[in-house]
Amino acid sequence: DGVAVLPAPQNLSVQSTNMKHVLTWSPVIVPEEIIHYSVEYQGEYESLYMSHIWIPSSWCSPTQGPECDITDDITATVPYSLRVRATLGSLTSAWSTLKHPFNRNSTILTPPGMEITKDGFHLVIKLEDLGPQFEFFVAYWKREPGAKEHVKMVRRGGIPVHLETMEPGAAHCVKVRTFVKAIGRHSAFSQTECVKVQGEALPL
Amino acid sequence: GLRRCLISMDMRRIEESFQGIKNAIQAKDTFQNVTILSTSETLHSIKPLDVCCVTKNLLAFYVDRVFKDHQELSPQILRKISSIANSFLYMQKTLQRCQEQRLCHCRQEATNATRIIHDNYDQLEVRSAAIKSLGELDVLLAWIDKNHQGTSA
Repeated sequence: DGVAVLPAPQNLSVQSTNMKHVLTWSPVIVPEEIIHYSVEYQGEYESLYMSHIWIPSSWCSPTQGPECDITDDITATVPYSLRVRATLGSLTSAWSTLKHPFNRNSTILTPPGMEITKDGFHLVIKLEDLGPQFEFFVAYWKREPGAKEHVKMVRRGGIPVHLETMEPGAAHCVKVRTFVKAIGRHSAFSQTECVKVQGEALPL
Repeated sequence: GLRRCLISMDMRRIEESFQGIKNAIQAKDTFQNVTILSTSETLHSIKPLDVCCVTKNLLAFYVDRVFKDHQELSPQILRKISSIANSFLYMQKTLQRCQEQRLCHCRQEATNATRIIHDNYDQLEVRSAAIKSLGELDVLLAWIDKNHQGTSA
């Protein structure tokens, strides 16, 4: 191992939104030099049973920027320890380890984007494609007193889905939220959006 | 039964991880005519009543023995095995919650089936046994999938 003369990276943290996880840290500055970083991780399994084993991250061993997309490394809903070190030629810093292990069940789930369209009298929705881990809970109803709310589970985003056939002159409304089975959580509902046959989307 | 226990398990991801290492692992298996999991009278004769207990025992078999006994140098394979091992750890926790609700009762048949697997494992030198068991993960995953069709809906 190289002698640890470089300062270790500081301020490690993970930003996670919609099951995309990015590890960031403060860059190590050496004037006129390019610093590289190596990221490694341990799942809870390694921490418990093989604590000497640290696994090089898929995309950042090494990397140049002070951040690393660890989404492909965090593949189970257990705590993961993460560490980073800096390298300059043969010089290597000490490891810096994330203060608190990261669990993907803490990811921020945002309401999904949606596009409501009319195909003649047909109400069609197209949902944001957030990847294979996301399902969509779509609620839709005719806007009138006592109207029944209908529900449809949509397994994948990015493809148009027919919701119902609309009545002329009646406004039909839709709201949607995501569900991630791997962590057993769902997002908040999106804004409600209403459309009326022969009319444009109505403001609420 | 098992369906209520593993409902939130993402089996597809685990199967993908295994497919990524299957050829490399099975190529290292030097005892091709010996099996640890797939003796026909072991897994395939498990009754629904015993599924949860056998799953719990097999997860423990892999977590406590197989993954620990295998030493892997390739980072690519190590990542996949880590993904599977940590997913099994999560499944164990899920089953643990089931156990607390007394839905995971272990009968003698289940215990016997597990012992056969451990005995098969002990017949081989430990590294060979671990490699063979890793190579037979598809047998276990298929068995869990079959006994838990609700997950993949």
